[in-house]
Amino acid sequence: MNELVETIGRCVERGKINKASPFPGDMKGLDGADELTHQALEAGTDAEAILQACIAAMVRIGEKFGRNEVFVPEMLMAAKAMKAVTEHLKPFFQSGSVQAKGTFIIGTVAGDLHDIGKNLVSMFVEGNGWNVVDLGVDVKPEKFIDAIRKQPKCVVGLSALLTTTIVSMSKTVQEIRALFPSINIVVGGAPLTMEIAKEMGANGYARDPQGAVRWLAAIREAS
Amino acid sequence: MERLLPQSEREEGVFEVTIDAADVTISKEVLYRALGYSDNRIDPHFKDIVDHVLAGIHDLCAVRAGYRVLDAHVKADRGEGLVVGRTFITTGCTIAGQLKNAEKAALFLCTIGPGMEAWSRRLFREGDPVRGHFVDTAASLAAEKAAAVLHDHIGLVMAGGGLKVTNRFSPGYCGWPVADQRRLFSFFPENFCGISLTESALMVPVKSVSGMIGIGAHAMRENYSCERCSRKECTASRAYKNSAPT
Ligand code: B12
Repeated sequence: MNELVETIGRCVERGKINKASPFPGDMKGLDGADELTHQALEAGTDAEAILQACIAAMVRIGEKFGRNEVFVPEMLMAAKAMKAVTEHLKPFFQSGSVQAKGTFIIGTVAGDLHDIGKNLVSMFVEGNGWNVVDLGVDVKPEKFIDAIRKQPKCVVGLSALLTTTIVSMSKTVQEIRALFPSINIVVGGAPLTMEIAKEMGANGYARDPQGAVRWLAAIREAS
Repeated sequence: MERLLPQSEREEGVFEVTIDAADVTISKEVLYRALGYSDNRIDPHFKDIVDHVLAGIHDLCAVRAGYRVLDAHVKADRGEGLVVGRTFITTGCTIAGQLKNAEKAALFLCTIGPGMEAWSRRLFREGDPVRGHFVDTAASLAAEKAAAVLHDHIGLVMAGGGLKVTNRFSPGYCGWPVADQRRLFSFFPENFCGISLTESALMVPVKSVSGMIGIGAHAMRENYSCERCSRKECTASRAYKNSAPT
């Protein structure tokens, strides 16, 4: 692999966004994902190669998270560095020479106002190469349905924090299912378990952003 | 640092307690740990963010807290809850067991207000999710601290009358359904302490805590009985079991 591409991957894994960013401490003052991607594209490097290196970097940081070697803040920095790269790749996405993995529509269900967990999942899924549509909090089933109509091949993610809002989550799953029987739905949030997810008719459950990315990769492979 | 705080009676038997933002500030070390960095090995950039966030707590936390004390007893034939005032509250056997010596119960509510939540949301929107995450975590810790300060205060008030208090318990924990929030709120005037309940029993502002504390001559604050509970989904119990000495 091109050395520059490898360095971009390392910047993403370490969360080094750009030269001005003081994070991580040991890379202070060095060029980051932003400058290096610009340089690589100027030098004619293949955009797809850059994207693949960065996706691999996100997988590595996710694995470190799974081993408790890094925590949510490092994952968020990596996702931000990834965003800096994809900003440069935008023209290639638009021309079709580079493609997103798919569209992920996420929201916190009606009656629930918690957004932090949903925001973290949304950031990390986007960092892993998905196009993310974040519908916000207190999202009524109709709003999910409208968004799905615009992106019928999407995957849907629902978030809830309390057992009382799981009722609203089940209702949302049912209403979506009634119109889009084959759509993939993943649910998450502190009070959920795989059992509850299955009971309400969701296809999957993930307990953290890393789990969500793994689940998305698995269904993509299966389809 | 337990101390008696100023309180005023809002309506008969319902007290609002004055808790200063300074009383709910948390140490850097506690925030590091909550973010995952238990050994203090944290990047200098994150340390700077922690300092910034903790400096903001003072201005953005508008703590409000209050309680109401009522007669209470566990009914021998209905072990799954207790009668508070004239209402039967289905706390489940775990909490009822812990409150079996209680003669009274203090129902309480507290919040740090909407300021920290709004700050976190703004940071996410402006593309600074790390800071947003730190603010959210600090806000959750501050809300829990507000409940702890209120608990200590109620303990001191009761000690003045020769009574002791138990641990505090909240709907949503130890088998007490979250849906019971509605019953708990019915003991307070509307919008007490600026907290309201949505249709799905969610408190607004989000960074709020509600619950109950047992009171009696023989009441005791003891270890939570997580080791006797089999509820696998309870994250509090998971954390308790992981940290319990073996
Ligand atoms: C901190 C905390 C609080 C804070 C505020 C929480 C907040 N989110 O703002 C305070 C102290 C205020 C609080 C209050 C209460 N809490 Co609380 N709280 C917690 C605690 C310890 C952590 C929650 C948190 O912020 N985590 C960090 C965020 C980032 O995580 P998250 O939102 O869960 O999201 C992650 C995952 O769930 C997942 N995820 C989230 N959404 C999605 C979506 C998809 C598609 C996927 C794949 C994944 C995914 O990924 C995210 C990132 O890792 C949890 C226990 C726990 N360890 O989870 C209890 C917990 C959520 N609380 C609980 C309860 C009951 C309450 C109260 C009702 C108690 C009370 N009576 O006062 C109140 C309710 C407050 C209200 N507004 O109504 C229960 C809820 C379960 C239930 N029985 O309904 C929990 C699970 C504890 C328990 N009993 O096990 N709480």
